[in-house]
Amino acid sequence: MPSPINKKLLKHLAELARIELNSREEERLSKDLQEILSHFEELQQLDTSEVKPMTGGTSLKNIFREDEERQNKYAGAGAEVFPEKEGGFLKVPPVFE
Amino acid sequence: MYSLRNLTIKSFHEGLVEKKFSALEITQAFFSYIKETDKRIGAYLNLNEDGAVMAAERVDIALAQGESLGALAGVPLAVKDNILIKSLPATAGSKSLENYIASYSAGVIQKLKKEKAIFLGKTNLDEFAMGASTENSGFHITRNPHDPTRVPGGSSGGSAAAVAAHMAIAALGSETGGSIRQPAGFCGVVGLKPTYGAVSRSGLIAMTSSLDQIGPITKTVEDAAFLFKSIAGQDVYDSTSVETSYGDELMNPTLQGVRNLTIGLPNEYFPKELDGEVGKAIEKVILDLETLKIKFKKISLPFTKYAIPCYYIIVPAEVSANLARFDGIRYSRIDEKRLNAKTLKEIYTRQRGEGFGTETKRRVILGTFVLSSGYYDAYYQKAQQVRSLIKNDFEQAFKQVDVILGPVSTTPAFKIGEKISDPYEMYLCDLFLSPSNLAGNPAISIPVKETVSQVQGDGKLPIGFQLIGKHFREADILAIGQYYEKIKR
Repeated sequence: MPSPINKKLLKHLAELARIELNSREEERLSKDLQEILSHFEELQQLDTSEVKPMTGGTSLKNIFREDEERQNKYAGAGAEVFPEKEGGFLKVPPVFE
Repeated sequence: MYSLRNLTIKSFHEGLVEKKFSALEITQAFFSYIKETDKRIGAYLNLNEDGAVMAAERVDIALAQGESLGALAGVPLAVKDNILIKSLPATAGSKSLENYIASYSAGVIQKLKKEKAIFLGKTNLDEFAMGASTENSGFHITRNPHDPTRVPGGSSGGSAAAVAAHMAIAALGSETGGSIRQPAGFCGVVGLKPTYGAVSRSGLIAMTSSLDQIGPITKTVEDAAFLFKSIAGQDVYDSTSVETSYGDELMNPTLQGVRNLTIGLPNEYFPKELDGEVGKAIEKVILDLETLKIKFKKISLPFTKYAIPCYYIIVPAEVSANLARFDGIRYSRIDEKRLNAKTLKEIYTRQRGEGFGTETKRRVILGTFVLSSGYYDAYYQKAQQVRSLIKNDFEQAFKQVDVILGPVSTTPAFKIGEKISDPYEMYLCDLFLSPSNLAGNPAISIPVKETVSQVQGDGKLPIGFQLIGKHFREADILAIGQYYEKIKR
């Protein structure tokens, strides 16, 4: 299987992941990801058509409880380090230009 | 007289209640020793001197007033820096969290605080616990106390090195794929990865939620059993934690109980390429355990070789989701300059670009890839299916045996810089470790007798062996470990 990783895809992934990369990092990550993906190929040899995927760390059962009101002790915690804030809210630039 | 070197949780408690020393005396002795020693090792990221001294004074007052104290009272511990202690920094080894101060304490810390344990400081780790050498820390490397040119292992390298270099009596680490057992093995100390769900992860900076566990790193198996018992149990703030009922058998195993156990030796954990020294050391362990009249049986875990690719798809996938919370706003001190960004997205991309190290970026982007439309089935779903097969390996094996034994790593501690430029080579460190993480089983790394040198710097490197148990049967692996420790040679 030819590696799907190329510069264009990498740029797209970095955009989705909200990480700014410089060109040296793009170069290196491209190479690293191609190499890492090549090691994943041996999984494709396995026939898993009948295998149920394991979706978490345990075979958890659902537990239900009544909805109840609870005071959040930590509301607003962490806001003290932010330069612009109002009533526990943080002020940030607009989402859209 | 006492020596910091000889102190275990058990001997500290005895000395404290017999008034051989005070908690304050020992705490202060640890800080002066750390200040002298840690310049060479780099185990700690920050120290909690004021808090620890105050807590020690409170223990001494309680003792003077005739209060009965639990065995953890006054015990100086080191804590991996991805576990929150209220009002102390918690960086997870990342520059992006350089200024973050924890606003609450982790579930395990709250339990230990109730027991009046003392926290000396926070220890170094690979950034967000991603790595096997502690070289990925955003701050500094940690050196192996047995040979400063070598790594301590990782990601809990700071915790393992602190205990090995006598800079704490015991420590907490966290493990996702070998991050407690491997550094314990490299540093010649004991490391326990509990069953998935046995210990609360509330207040552990999440890396891979379907795998992460907190566990003890100690000098003896007995101490590991004790510290584990103190932190285990359900926590409403971690919905994956379960009600546990670990009884007296954790601390007081019987020889008859140990003899009733059968240990499995998986072919896959003893490949021909196994380092000669490691192979010989493990053979010695088997011979020693045979003197206890424990039965052995050859078994197979056929999907072992698929564990690394499976693990390194599942982990980055979850990492990319878990690390999304580090948006450069909520856990960081943002300077005014960055607020000049025109859009919110600009803050995200710049802060994450500057704040994350190479391995973190690699995993977030790889995770974004394996979860992305068009590749999800071929990678992520496939890995989840393979994970089922690996879990089934253990289920089948545990129908025939009670405990599985193998090496921790293929070699003793490697040189600083040896693997850092080849990510996949570093990933292979988890070869014998990640399968039991994927299956959720408890496992312990114990130093092989006579491979742990008492003289630092004589070139002798520790080698660890591991015991893997059935789900919630920490008692079995701890029992064998405690009897192994008692064998005289």
